[in-house]
Amino acid sequence: MTALLRYQAALLWRSHRWLPPLMLYGILMVIGVQHGEPVLDSFGYAAGVLLPVAAWLVRVCVTNEPPAARDCAAAAAGPGRVHLAGILTALGASTALAATGTAVVAAIGDPRSADHQVPVDLWPATAAGLAAAVACALLGTAVGALCNRPVLRSTAWAVPSTGFAAILVLFAGGSPARAAVTGLVTGSRSGTVPFSPLPLAGALALTAAAVAGACALAGRRA
Amino acid sequence: MRLRGVGRRYGLRGPWVLRDVDLDLPRGALLRVEGANGSGKSTLLRLLAGIDTPTAGRITGRPRTAYVPERFPAALPFTAAGYLTHLGRVHGLGRAAAARGAEEWLERFGAGRHARTSLSELSKGTSQKVAVAQALLADPELLVLDEAWTGLDRDSRTLLDDAVTGRVAAGGTVVFVDHDPRRLAASLRGAADAVHRVAGGRLTTERAVDAAGASTGAGPGGPADAGSRGLAEADPRDPRVLAEFAGPRVLIEAQGPAGAPLPEGLPGAPALVPADSPVPPGTVRLTVVAAHSDALLRALLTARPAWHVHAVRPVDPPPASSAGSPSPTTESPPA
Repeated sequence: MTALLRYQAALLWRSHRWLPPLMLYGILMVIGVQHGEPVLDSFGYAAGVLLPVAAWLVRVCVTNEPPAARDCAAAAAGPGRVHLAGILTALGASTALAATGTAVVAAIGDPRSADHQVPVDLWPATAAGLAAAVACALLGTAVGALCNRPVLRSTAWAVPSTGFAAILVLFAGGSPARAAVTGLVTGSRSGTVPFSPLPLAGALALTAAAVAGACALAGRRA
Repeated sequence: MRLRGVGRRYGLRGPWVLRDVDLDLPRGALLRVEGANGSGKSTLLRLLAGIDTPTAGRITGRPRTAYVPERFPAALPFTAAGYLTHLGRVHGLGRAAAARGAEEWLERFGAGRHARTSLSELSKGTSQKVAVAQALLADPELLVLDEAWTGLDRDSRTLLDDAVTGRVAAGGTVVFVDHDPRRLAASLRGAADAVHRVAGGRLTTERAVDAAGASTGAGPGGPADAGSRGLAEADPRDPRVLAEFAGPRVLIEAQGPAGAPLPEGLPGAPALVPADSPVPPGTVRLTVVAAHSDALLRALLTARPAWHVHAVRPVDPPPASSAGSPSPTTESPPA
């Protein structure tokens, strides 16, 4: 598995196909996160925009190899493990974005409530922001895993489905992503840092199930 | 590895491409799969290689597997050596062994100068060499070849033939499809070897190779076969030997490291011949059919530890066919 992860990570890095999703993330962050804005609001926004970016990164990683090369790796390691390595590589990249985005917001945001009256403890706020960003990265990975090869094989279905599913997961009631983002935005109004492990735990469980399902299909739907 | 009741169809209600396949893949066996275009040969090979999971039935006892596709247009952002090193590690080799194997196999296929070339810039034939090299790199226990010879030049096809017989001799299993009906025909003589045919979604055993043919050793045209089963002590001037391995032969004089035995599984069934003049210690003289001499030289030069080749020259024709006119012997400079 380590060798597969190293191979997929090198493939992602050298293909430069991480650039478009990274640029989307960068542009959305520049639009929505500004110097001196309330820090909890910015954490909520940064977590939300990461979800579609994480889904896009999964699409990049699971379609990065030409079929012939994928077959060679699948014979050596099994199709499920090859697919899992691709998804985990994408998750690693989006987790790195989550950490970077959280650090940037913590550095330039104003550690006060939404009306700039109540001070907010920066370290607990940063921890909550990172947890929300990781939850969104996980759910974006789940969306990417379920809306791409081997579940949806044609680009005509996969790309619009990934977009719609990302929006749905971000805004649907009961979604851990929505819960994580609203927790931060609501906390910002009163200046209290939300602490609930539920969104992150929910995101982890849903993503594990989605990824396991996609990997189990990897050898069945060529 | 065993297949029991294996079937495969694409989609939930698609037609069965293969059904009720029962097949044993014993160790040390060479299996050929035949069938018309679209009959399901490639589907069977993908199941055997573990790339596809059967829709029905079970496959048990999977060994370490490698697969070579028919075409390998791999537009990957790696150099040939870089890709092979990654795949070597996926096959389970350590970092140093993978990097060394990558260089060695590219060298053997005469593609050493392309080691630092990006895969997307390689010609079709060189890409195919990379695909073959990734499969051979880690000595797989099961090797699945889907028309892997397509696009290779003549020397590389011979080298792949030799690698296949070498894998089988070392106790591995090789399954192959090839459009050339004579492909490895001389090697398909072992007791466990067989030819299977896919037709109408079913697999039938076309020809289980008879054990008698295997026990009598190499039959006519069997150099590749005998090559996998070790060296023969023989006099190259003996007309019987020449009849068995038809064609002009080449004598190779090589010196190994002190006390080192000849590498095993040398291609082309080289025969060991006694020296007719004093030679330095550790020197051996081998004769081989000219068509296999390049592969044998490569095998000696790339062996670990490496052998030094002192001389390569054609063997004199036997007295019977060259009445009283010995042909001049040409010494080539030491390699």
